[in-house]
Amino acid sequence: MQLGGCWFDRDRGLLVEQSRDESWHLPRAELQVLSLLVEHQGKLVSKHVLKTGDGAHPPLTDTSVARAVFMLRSFLGPQYESLIETVKGQGYLLHTSYSQLPRHLHHTGLLSFSWWGVSLLFGLMLAVSLFYISRIDHSIPTEPLMSTELPLESGQHIRLYLYANSKTNNTLLFELGERLGQGLIACRRSDWADVYTSLSHDKQLFYITLRGHKLGQSVIRNIKIADLRRPKEFIDAQWLQEVGICG
Amino acid sequence: MLSGYRRLGSVANWLKWTINLLILSALIAACGVIYLQSVSNKAVIFNCSSELYDRNDNAQDDGKFYLLVDVLISASNAQINYRYFHLDGTSAGMLLMQGEVQSMKPNSMTYNVSVKTKTESEDVAKKDWPEHMKYLSYISSLHFSESGTHNLSIQILDSDASQDYAVVLFQPSNTVCGCRIVNSRI
Repeated sequence: MQLGGCWFDRDRGLLVEQSRDESWHLPRAELQVLSLLVEHQGKLVSKHVLKTGDGAHPPLTDTSVARAVFMLRSFLGPQYESLIETVKGQGYLLHTSYSQLPRHLHHTGLLSFSWWGVSLLFGLMLAVSLFYISRIDHSIPTEPLMSTELPLESGQHIRLYLYANSKTNNTLLFELGERLGQGLIACRRSDWADVYTSLSHDKQLFYITLRGHKLGQSVIRNIKIADLRRPKEFIDAQWLQEVGICG
Repeated sequence: MLSGYRRLGSVANWLKWTINLLILSALIAACGVIYLQSVSNKAVIFNCSSELYDRNDNAQDDGKFYLLVDVLISASNAQINYRYFHLDGTSAGMLLMQGEVQSMKPNSMTYNVSVKTKTESEDVAKKDWPEHMKYLSYISSLHFSESGTHNLSIQILDSDASQDYAVVLFQPSNTVCGCRIVNSRI
């Protein structure tokens, strides 16, 4: 009988690969397994039946059966090896023809669709991941160049922050911070809790932001000073008193 | 019978893959929608008022002004309006910058804005402008002539939404300013 590209001559115990004109005289295990599978073609044959055969010979071992199936599949070739299907934990099944094989055993159709799908999905996920990675925020909050606590006579403390866009050439900013700090310390008491200061990048403008609480309300005061004099002072004790820096 | 079961298994396998692909596609689409919404929903409005002191050799000549700055950031649009006033309430100048939000950095709470257009008031002579306005006008004009845009960043250093305040740092001018939060979804 025809099995894929082979002709099985059961009586002579011969399997002939027709395209190669190659014949194989089947050993006992292979002949027993293939004969039983052919006898029950299209049906599941249990391992026990394959091992015991017709009872005329000693039973085969599990390994002998597995090896026989392996050898038979090898001889049938890659195109038809799936004619003998392993039914996990139960036994083996010889399909009646190649066209009746389940589609998933043809190595085309769904299997290729799955691979295409997986590849496409993987590519898509990779693209999305790369997009999100590129969007990850690596920025860090700007830290003040210096922050200091100023104690007042009342026991209150004011925190003074100096902000600069560079860590160098900040002598004037430190001087102004010192002068402002002294002016704030001179206050007996103050409504301000935090004072933020900065100097414009060209050192032409000095900015002061005072934040605190007054009568339970949050209060903010911004002062921007431009000094057209030479040398620039921006602030001094008298001026701070005039503008009521204590709040 | 067994062949029928196998065919059924094949259909089930096909269905499983189709459903998996559909679910994953839906998840990717959902991520995209969430991202787009998170980008477009960032709207913030600040209002900052300042006292301006232009100090001269003669204290009598010192200039005193008020400045109101309105910062409006909605989706990808940004607008910063500087309004200057004399102590009597009359206008001392106005400067309006409009542009686009280039990026938003949640970690540092920073908006990077690219200013495309600038409008300066013409009803007040330039020589009478507050020094702060002259500075802003000069710096922005410099950047416009160099690159056609004026890039600036607005970083929130400290904020308390319950008290409606935020301390903001403007760069590259390195300006700290305390502002009222009118609306914030940052």
